[in-house]
Amino acid sequence: MSLPRLLLMPIRTSKQGQQVNIGKDHDDYLTMTTTLTVHPDDLKERNIPNGARVIVRTDHGEAEFVCTEGKVPRGMAFVPYGPPTCKLMGGDTDGTGMPTSKGWEFDMEEVRNAE
Amino acid sequence: MIYWGGNPAECHPRHFTKYSLMPKGKFTPNGRKDRTMVLVDIRETASAKAADIFLQIRPGKDFEALTALRSIVKGKRVDESAVAETGLTMEQLNDLVTRMKKAKFGVIFFGMGLSMTRGKHLNSAAAMTLAAELNAFTKFVAMPMRGHGNVTGADVVVRYHTGYPFGVNLSRGYPRFNPGEFSTVDVLVRGDNDATIIIGADPGATMPQPAIDHLARTNTIVLDPKVTHTSRLSKVHITTAATGISAPGTAYRMDEIPMTLRPPLKSPYPTDEEVLRRISEAVARKAAWYPTPEALMATA
Repeated sequence: MSLPRLLLMPIRTSKQGQQVNIGKDHDDYLTMTTTLTVHPDDLKERNIPNGARVIVRTDHGEAEFVCTEGKVPRGMAFVPYGPPTCKLMGGDTDGTGMPTSKGWEFDMEEVRNAE
Repeated sequence: MIYWGGNPAECHPRHFTKYSLMPKGKFTPNGRKDRTMVLVDIRETASAKAADIFLQIRPGKDFEALTALRSIVKGKRVDESAVAETGLTMEQLNDLVTRMKKAKFGVIFFGMGLSMTRGKHLNSAAAMTLAAELNAFTKFVAMPMRGHGNVTGADVVVRYHTGYPFGVNLSRGYPRFNPGEFSTVDVLVRGDNDATIIIGADPGATMPQPAIDHLARTNTIVLDPKVTHTSRLSKVHITTAATGISAPGTAYRMDEIPMTLRPPLKSPYPTDEEVLRRISEAVARKAAWYPTPEALMATA
């Protein structure tokens, strides 16, 4: 039986907001915007180890993240906004001018033997 | 005080301490102790630690919960099974309504968790309608938690120039407002424009990829003190002084109070205002692309 898709929830963090003034051209920014926080049971269900590199696919695109266990609700994954989350968002605003940036359904697959 | 779909502890770090939760006032001499803070969110964020009550709602169920609250406020019957789908209980909603009605001055601060998720403007409208309807019982307001930087300032200035806060088209010489048609993301995703000036923003790190792709394809000019994802894909990046640090200006608080910024440092770079003024003057020196009345008269 295939597992239900997870919901992607891009978020803001204080550290991410500071990059507006510091600049985003460094490894810290890259790390924070590619770290996906998932409930431990959701990872276990998908046989994905904590800290693994994963490909996340929505109906609009795909991007690579490092997943990490965290205290988040089951069925959802949280990641600070950044270029990787842009790739996963659709461009339709439903006539509102506001893109849907939260609640995209996605599949997740571990990146194996990529090196 | 209700925060709905927002995480000020992370996103607006001074909101609690300088503005909303902690300050002492004429009618709140004990500051924090005189206020009750409720947080509604899909997860227990850092802001939950500051809350008296945390209500964990299911994703995409904000409109339903707000509508149920409106019904309870008006004393209408509410289907318990419908409430259960929101992840909240009737007891929690009844308790919240009782507290809201008892408040001397209530406020709903709503964030991107409400406005950028399923339901979008309908969610925001439901929150504002709830606040409006509570005024039959007490004083209540609703206020959006706008993004970092000076997003509120952009809203205010565009509004007092054109009458509309965003999504304004001036191509006919007068303002037309139509979100979904003239709003930035829609214009870019449809590929309507062939040039874009971006001032102090980084859509290359926040907008949907189809919009970013269009910025990369066309003539994009960026004014920013830093190298950003957008400046990297732009045709021209003009480095400008940082407003508030090395350039003067005005920033707006989220309650639309203007704050004068006095720069402590000098910058070798021009200000955004200076660059725009020089571009505007250069454009004014060029001949109009459309026939002027004088040219039309000469032809006639």
